[in-house]
Amino acid sequence: MRNYLQQVKALLMVTMLLFATVLSANAQSREVSGTVLDKTMGEPLPGVTVLVKGTTRGVTTDLDGKYTINLQPGDQVLVFSFVGFAAQEITVGNQSTINIELDEDIQSLQEAVVIGYGTQDKKEITSAVASVGVEGFNKGNFTNPQSLLTGKVAGLNISSPGGSPNAQPTVRLRGISSFGANSSPLIVLDGVIGASIDAVDPNDVETIDVLKDASAAAIYGTRGAAGVILITTKQGSSKKGFSNVTINTFGSAEQATGLIPVLSPDEFRARRPATADFGNDTNWRDEILRTALNGTTNVSLSGGFENTTYLASVNYRNNQGVVKNSGRETLNTRLNLGHGALNNRLRMNLNLSFTDTEANDVPGEALLYATILNPTMPIFDNSPNGLLNGGYFQPSGFDNNNPVALINLRENQTKVRNALYSYRAEYDITDDLIVSAQFSQDILNTLNGQSRSRFDGAPGGGRANNGTAQQNTYDRVNTILSGNLRYEKEVADGLNMSILAGAETQLFNERGFGAQSRQFLFDQSWNNLGAGGIRFGENTNLYSFANTSTLNSVFGRANFNYQNTYFFSATVRAETYSGFGRENQTGYFPAFSAGADLTQIFDMGVFSQFKLRSSFGVVGQLPPSPTLALGVYGNGNRIQLDPTDINTAWVAPRQVSNPNPQLQWETTTEFTVGLDYALFNGKISGSMDYYQRNISDLLFEVGVGVGNANPFDPGNFYTAPTIWANIASLNSAGFEFLMTADRVNLGRGITWTPTAIFTIYKRATIGDIGTGGLQLPEIRRGVPGSPGVNNAQVIRNIEGERVGDIYGPRLEGILEDGRTILSTESPDEFERLGNALPTGDFGFTNQFNYGNWDLNFILRGSWGHQMLNSFRLFYEGDGNATWNSVITRNTPTNPVISNAPSQISDFYIERGDFIRLDNLQLGYTLPTKSPAISNLRFYAGVQNLFTISSFTGVDPEVRWTDGGDQLAPGIERRDTYFIPRIWTTGLTITFK
Amino acid sequence: MLRSIKTICVGGLVALTMVSCELEQEVLTGVTRDQLRDNPPAELAEVLKQSAYSRLMGDGSFGGHGGFYSYQEITSDEIAIPVKGGDWNDGGLWVRAHRHTWNVDDGELNGVWSIPYRVIAETNLLIQQYPDVEALVGEMKVLRALGYLWLLDNFGSVPLIIETTTDPAPPSNTPQEVFNFIETSILENVDLLTTTNTRINLNYWTAHMILAKLYLNAEVYIGEPKWVEAEQAIDVIINEGPYSLAPNFFANFATSNANSVENMFTLPYDANNAGGFNLAQMTLHYESQKTFDLVDQPWNGYAALEEFYNSYDDDDFRKNGFLVGPQFELDGVTPLRDDAGFDGDPDGVEVVFTPEINELEPNAFRQAGARVGKFEFAIGAQPDLNNDFPIFRYADVLLMKAEVRLRRGDPAGGLPFVNQVRERAGVPPFTQLTVDNLLAERGREMFAEGWRRSDLIRFNRFGAPWWEKPASNENRRRFPIPLNQIQANPNLTQNPGY
Repeated sequence: MRNYLQQVKALLMVTMLLFATVLSANAQSREVSGTVLDKTMGEPLPGVTVLVKGTTRGVTTDLDGKYTINLQPGDQVLVFSFVGFAAQEITVGNQSTINIELDEDIQSLQEAVVIGYGTQDKKEITSAVASVGVEGFNKGNFTNPQSLLTGKVAGLNISSPGGSPNAQPTVRLRGISSFGANSSPLIVLDGVIGASIDAVDPNDVETIDVLKDASAAAIYGTRGAAGVILITTKQGSSKKGFSNVTINTFGSAEQATGLIPVLSPDEFRARRPATADFGNDTNWRDEILRTALNGTTNVSLSGGFENTTYLASVNYRNNQGVVKNSGRETLNTRLNLGHGALNNRLRMNLNLSFTDTEANDVPGEALLYATILNPTMPIFDNSPNGLLNGGYFQPSGFDNNNPVALINLRENQTKVRNALYSYRAEYDITDDLIVSAQFSQDILNTLNGQSRSRFDGAPGGGRANNGTAQQNTYDRVNTILSGNLRYEKEVADGLNMSILAGAETQLFNERGFGAQSRQFLFDQSWNNLGAGGIRFGENTNLYSFANTSTLNSVFGRANFNYQNTYFFSATVRAETYSGFGRENQTGYFPAFSAGADLTQIFDMGVFSQFKLRSSFGVVGQLPPSPTLALGVYGNGNRIQLDPTDINTAWVAPRQVSNPNPQLQWETTTEFTVGLDYALFNGKISGSMDYYQRNISDLLFEVGVGVGNANPFDPGNFYTAPTIWANIASLNSAGFEFLMTADRVNLGRGITWTPTAIFTIYKRATIGDIGTGGLQLPEIRRGVPGSPGVNNAQVIRNIEGERVGDIYGPRLEGILEDGRTILSTESPDEFERLGNALPTGDFGFTNQFNYGNWDLNFILRGSWGHQMLNSFRLFYEGDGNATWNSVITRNTPTNPVISNAPSQISDFYIERGDFIRLDNLQLGYTLPTKSPAISNLRFYAGVQNLFTISSFTGVDPEVRWTDGGDQLAPGIERRDTYFIPRIWTTGLTITFK
Repeated sequence: MLRSIKTICVGGLVALTMVSCELEQEVLTGVTRDQLRDNPPAELAEVLKQSAYSRLMGDGSFGGHGGFYSYQEITSDEIAIPVKGGDWNDGGLWVRAHRHTWNVDDGELNGVWSIPYRVIAETNLLIQQYPDVEALVGEMKVLRALGYLWLLDNFGSVPLIIETTTDPAPPSNTPQEVFNFIETSILENVDLLTTTNTRINLNYWTAHMILAKLYLNAEVYIGEPKWVEAEQAIDVIINEGPYSLAPNFFANFATSNANSVENMFTLPYDANNAGGFNLAQMTLHYESQKTFDLVDQPWNGYAALEEFYNSYDDDDFRKNGFLVGPQFELDGVTPLRDDAGFDGDPDGVEVVFTPEINELEPNAFRQAGARVGKFEFAIGAQPDLNNDFPIFRYADVLLMKAEVRLRRGDPAGGLPFVNQVRERAGVPPFTQLTVDNLLAERGREMFAEGWRRSDLIRFNRFGAPWWEKPASNENRRRFPIPLNQIQANPNLTQNPGY
């Protein structure tokens, strides 16, 4: 109330002053003028507000940074302010010319952290939030924004096993967060929830904020359980009349590294029988590999005029893979527009982006066969039979194919088009109350085409089908309409409050279509499916589907800051999802957090910040399809009632998935205690977090007894072997640590900015699996596959134990004849051999600056995870199906292991611990006095320079999933893409 | 100020209540159960009926790998899957099946359970949906009884789930209860079934065949022989039914065998519409793809046991149902080569099927073992064959008739029936009928049709030792309730010995 009175008082005084001003204007005014410059750039700053302190009188600087202001008697101090710069107050005295230089307010820019539906000053944040800006990003050739953060955020593991340019990284925040639902953090791009990651080019990213704990993520309700990654793109400069053109272009050369050693042709001849000698010397990997030469160019135009800011950018990336015929080409364009009207009380933003990607993949088997195939075999075969195979040599037998033929005779192309547009308007109803609305649409169109040539002689390949071709489309439109009110106010002395209340509707629409035919007279890629003579049966297809669902939400948040010492925040989101069972459609997700900066209370010596905080929150996760709760009858078998009359053919409706009308969201509750600290006035700073996470009602597609009554849907029976249900709980915990030192002076003008993070995970433990009469004390997953390891699962997820336990017999010895002795052959006597999930991650970023030189590199690694080395499992034993050429420590040229079937044992389980020099970049900024160029930087770098690991497979990176199966981690497949070492050189130039 | 906070709070509360309004979930792909019931098209009942039958096919059912059929054949003395180095080890699953040392958690056992039960679920839903269509309900109850017959045969104690069952975890019923249920289901409904020779649907005759199989094995199932009842059911088929032996044995197994006069109840497999008959893939060598111009590469798995192969006389016409000797490409002259075989394969790189199998594991030669050629493999075949798989065949009825005569102490009375079968095979008639020669004849006639395990049990030979298999315990006559099922329904009673 007192505050309110003060406001009235202030208003009265201002009015009186205004009158006084007008009255005295003619009498005794005098002029002060001058120029305002940008201190760093030394250039005029247009648009700077020059205000007489304590009044509302002011002017702005013109294009040349010049201003003239009339002063009244008693005017003593001028305030120069401009967004992004530290305000300055100058006492006028008798001066008539005041020239000043404004300093960029780096501190204030860095401290604003995006927290969802707004920003918050970093010092006020009481939950676990990490923020990384351009300076902190990984440097190199990255095709997706997530990779900019690899190794940068404690608790965030970004794993990209293998080096395919088309592979998206697996992102896990605080480890595994679900069995069957999405475990990847929710992406929020410029406020657009769940935006396609394709929509943004890494070059356009300004900052990435990671909401790590449930308390921070609760504002995103049912989809925040795996954490939230908020990506903010660059905006135009608000400097009036300025425009910058920045060109960043680099080229890279990539070569495969870490290849599994193989026998040379002569070594192969010595080890294998004479019948295996085909008389040629072929290095199969040389035949499919290449030095990939790639280029990326980003051009952006940014600036501002009057009340408008803009950024327009074009990003072109061409990334060939190191395997011939694989690659990715992306063209992304973006327009970010900001406009302020009504004295900037109405602010409008428009973000538009369009991305066009074409990805070409080669068959994974080609990578396998290039490693194992007999090196005495020829590549080509010009015999009549060879010509039927397109002139390629086709080996006979099983698990034995020509990789060169595979990459040339099979096509797999994916074209992705993504358009994302979002409009946002904000209006200051009063100085304290802001209303805002946002509308966005994210439109994703995917077209996949595949073909196998009629000359593709691999067994089951194109030749046996006289060629096959298919097209598949997948289109998605997500529409979001959102509105909120924000109220910010100092409610009492030193007590600041900000309140957010909002509502949101999200509509999800998706549809897909696909067709496949076979038997072509001529290869026509996948352009002409109608030329395929056979459209039914094996290797043919025709389908389409569509889905729609709605998610309605309301949410609120209140933040309190008492004298920059005590902080409190409370959040709640309520959501209703159409795809849940009737009784469980609505969920409530509350969160609370509080913190206190002890340096404001006690004298903490060297500490300039010592903020203890604690938070608690509840978040959810949606099921993968909206119709799982309903008893949808899909397509059963095709029934021809009269076998002689095609007109009697129907598709029988069948309950292809069992309905679960009680299906609901899975619930994550998380408790975090943390410390944000700074020493020596912020020279050293960082944070520590300990969290405990409990996930209940895990969504999982669980096995049921077909034929039994369905307890979730009385009167119905299980007709399918699985049902989606809320089945189990998961408990995990972890400790996260971040420390960074700002520009440590190493002498001789060299500064060093190191940032170290590490995370220690307590692996997720599975609790009480079961619901509605379902029990599932053990879920076995992870079948290595053919040849010969088809029905043997490596991973067991057992109630009361950890996710991802590796089970098998132990190898007790090897007999003289090379046969192995195992501890047991009976699966029920298998032992736990290890666990596939990591117990720790670290990242150590280093930045050195010397004059105009800068050097950046990051060492990164994970430890504690064990992995199945599939190459060894299948090809180390000499008794396997194929005369392969793989060399391991047990089969140098004279095999130790022989005559043994591929049988899982601890022998093939290896530690995955690794340290990798992920990326390194050296840059030089050319000092320039050119009037046209404001910045010119050359740089060169390397990615994946070295990896230290005892793992003998292709890549020791954590395998969080096996083709999406989260309960089968830790399996390195034989078709893992080779990892490239990437050398990059480029330049960035900014024209003014 | 306080007022505005209040307003915001009230507004928030209003909004929170609003959000909890129910949202309608539209179904754009597929139909709901309500749609299915409210306004069904005329063809629906018939389509759903055939759909229920179609669930007998696929996923390791008769003629497919990795489920019901595999466990009927590989546990018997006629077929094995030799482990060929790295290939076919599959965690030791098939070796354990052969040696009768399977475990409760051998995953593929689940198919033995779930294939009958998935058909039972469909029949229950149909009986619920069309309670007043008497003929349909009757036929579905008989089909359901067939499912329970297989369950009784493989597991003994299983829960009886019918259209009114709501208990999601019903306890096991005793074999006697299951036996009685099957018997009653058929006796009460058999007269509702057509006497037309329908082949792909059950009818009056094949309902009697189910009954005959039930009674024939009654001693195994409930410890009480029912030879008289068995013979009565068999006689209905022989004396009144429309069936006869096909002059050409192999006509019953041809790609186009839909009009066989001998096949009584078949699974109408179809490469395009009803997949799952993968025998060509399962038995042929990888390189045999070139012999038959197959669309996919075969898996080189199922092979006949040498002793079983040798149980045929050389002039037994049915012996042509095996693939042995050198193999050629489609042209019939170019020998098949296997460029990636083992060291030590005596036949070198050319593919020659030998009746002898050097060992079951770990290093059987890739070419070892006579292959199952009884069913025609069409040139250019897809992995899913078009041949209809006979579940019930008239030759079986004749052999069953011979058996009940023998069991009832009249071996001479059984001779004419078994000799009809032998005559068609081109081998001299038996002059006397014994348990041993009848079992052997059943084996030769019914090879690879999925009945051998059941026959061996009835003839008390299932526990006997044979090639690469020691004598096995009597408990092995019943499979364990698969681990998945015990986990899904803790009220099930595990069979003794597991």
